[in-house]
Amino acid sequence: MIEVTNVTKTFGSGADAFTALKEVSVTIRQNEFFTLLGPSGCGKTTLLRTIAGFIDPTSGSLSLEGRDILGDPPYLRPVNTVFQNYALFPHMTVAQNVGFGLEMLDKPRSEVQATVREMLELVKMTQLADRQTSEISGGQQQRVALARALAPKPKVLLLDEPLSALDFKLRKEMQIELKRLQSETGITFVFVTHDQEEALTMSDRIAVMNEGRILQIGGPRDIYDHPAERFVADFIGDTNFVEGTIRAIDGEAAEVELPSGKTVASRRQEGGPQAGAITIAVRPEHATLQAGEGLLSGTLSNIVYFGTDTHYHITLDDGHAFVIRRQNQPDARESYAVGDAVGVSFAPGVAQVLRD
Amino acid sequence: MAGRADTAAARRRWLLLTPALLVLIFAASGPLLIVVVYSFLTPGDYGGIEWMFSTDAWFNVVASRDFFDETVTWNDAHLSIFWRSVKLSLMTTLACFIFGLPTAYFIATRPKGQRDFWMLLIIIPFWTNLLIRTFAVMEIIRNEGVVNTFLINMGVIQEPIQMLFTDFAIMVGMTYVYLPLMVLPIYASLERLDFSLVEASYDLYARRWRVLRRVILPLAKPGMIAGSILVFVPSLGAYVTPRVLGGGKNLMLGNLIELQFGQGRNWPLGAALSITLLAIVMVALLIYVRQAEREGSHG
Repeated sequence: MIEVTNVTKTFGSGADAFTALKEVSVTIRQNEFFTLLGPSGCGKTTLLRTIAGFIDPTSGSLSLEGRDILGDPPYLRPVNTVFQNYALFPHMTVAQNVGFGLEMLDKPRSEVQATVREMLELVKMTQLADRQTSEISGGQQQRVALARALAPKPKVLLLDEPLSALDFKLRKEMQIELKRLQSETGITFVFVTHDQEEALTMSDRIAVMNEGRILQIGGPRDIYDHPAERFVADFIGDTNFVEGTIRAIDGEAAEVELPSGKTVASRRQEGGPQAGAITIAVRPEHATLQAGEGLLSGTLSNIVYFGTDTHYHITLDDGHAFVIRRQNQPDARESYAVGDAVGVSFAPGVAQVLRD
Repeated sequence: MAGRADTAAARRRWLLLTPALLVLIFAASGPLLIVVVYSFLTPGDYGGIEWMFSTDAWFNVVASRDFFDETVTWNDAHLSIFWRSVKLSLMTTLACFIFGLPTAYFIATRPKGQRDFWMLLIIIPFWTNLLIRTFAVMEIIRNEGVVNTFLINMGVIQEPIQMLFTDFAIMVGMTYVYLPLMVLPIYASLERLDFSLVEASYDLYARRWRVLRRVILPLAKPGMIAGSILVFVPSLGAYVTPRVLGGGKNLMLGNLIELQFGQGRNWPLGAALSITLLAIVMVALLIYVRQAEREGSHG
């Protein structure tokens, strides 16, 4: 659907040059909710704006449904954007805002009106059609911005951190709403966010970006359970990092020797490290705690009760920290105490060998 | 307690307001009142006024009574001056708008660091005396001036084009003098314009002209209205520019008024003309603002 190939974008020149995108390639499929996730300055917005046509990449190519669209100005691309600050026209009513795109496409008046009505219904804003955009709340403005971008029935909808200005509760509501709109309209959504939770809950696939590169592309489960790089593991959720050495590999399986001398079956990415010193990542809730010996052993340094779960902070024998998260059962008594000698274990295939 | 604090705050407000009020009373309302009173008195023989009630001055603003047979006719001289004043002011406003809008847009779209430099270029002429600036325009358009000399040397024309001492000259002069008054407010409203709105309209399939017409211009409207008022009002009362560039033949209202207080020795007529000028400005502004508001409400 959208084919981004080796796109590089450098701003400025000489000593001031800043490369926002470095050889980025990604394929976004028809009708999927695709998320670009990364910290601010990682290039995710630059990539989105390149697809929209506001940024001309320094090199690389971009095609939509097999047609090269790099030379097309924004008004010729069947792609619409929901801007971070919504960018609603302040001198128009809600309905005029929604109808703007269709009007610019010179659609007949009756069709414009019908589509505007349909879109306002879709985002539940029918009663406020004649309000000025300054007279409605932030959440309502958000809905209008969505309706305005959806009205011309674009092939792709680009969303630039559209939920970041909303408060927590409204954000949760809009996450579900966006998902609903996407499945009802069947339009491909490309969503930019720095919020990992937002990305995990809404996306069909996620591309994790940092410093102008795409580090990993995959479904939410895949990205969470099998991070390919330290940055991805660290940026999404909490992770324990353990130093180790690869003893043997077989496709995606790797035999890793831990600092304790024991070995554990781990998972590696295709094209990842094949031998030598590496780092493995283990999610806190994927590891288990036991009294006495485990794959790794250490001392309990802290126990933090969170209501839904309890975090056990362990200082391993080699001095590194390790956290285990355990879901709480009703009326369960705490069976460990700070200072206990404990073991840490995880099932074969749980530990993930990281690149770098 | 609260009451006392309130009165203290109110007293402070009044104290802060006092200088402005004094200026308004003594420098604006007072003289205006005197002018109104004078317009209903009889002219003195050597200028000044005599304290005798008369409506002759108001009669003479638009009409004249024949010296011999006392027939009443429209005062063509005055009416043509009114008409020229309004016409030239409207044309000056339009010219300032045509030149000022692109200028303001150009400056507003420069990188932030460069805008001050361009604004400075617009404002620098303000640092020079109005009379000198007007003489500079004269030097450019007179028969032996820069433009005519250049055109003759290029062989485009044989005879110099008479530009000085015409309505055209007055308009050129006023446009030059008042242009910054149009550029500044338009620039201010364009500078505040959120550029993502322009991006949004490009994104929604609007091409350049439509972005300008449907988004940029409507949002710059407050600046355009303010600029037009700021140019139109002083143009209507302009005195120096028509005097120098109109050569004393093409009078405008300001010159006519001055004439009554000088050689004409008819202060009441001058006063009545002044009030007429004020009335024209007020009516024009009222119509203009109404119109602008109506347009603004549906588009």
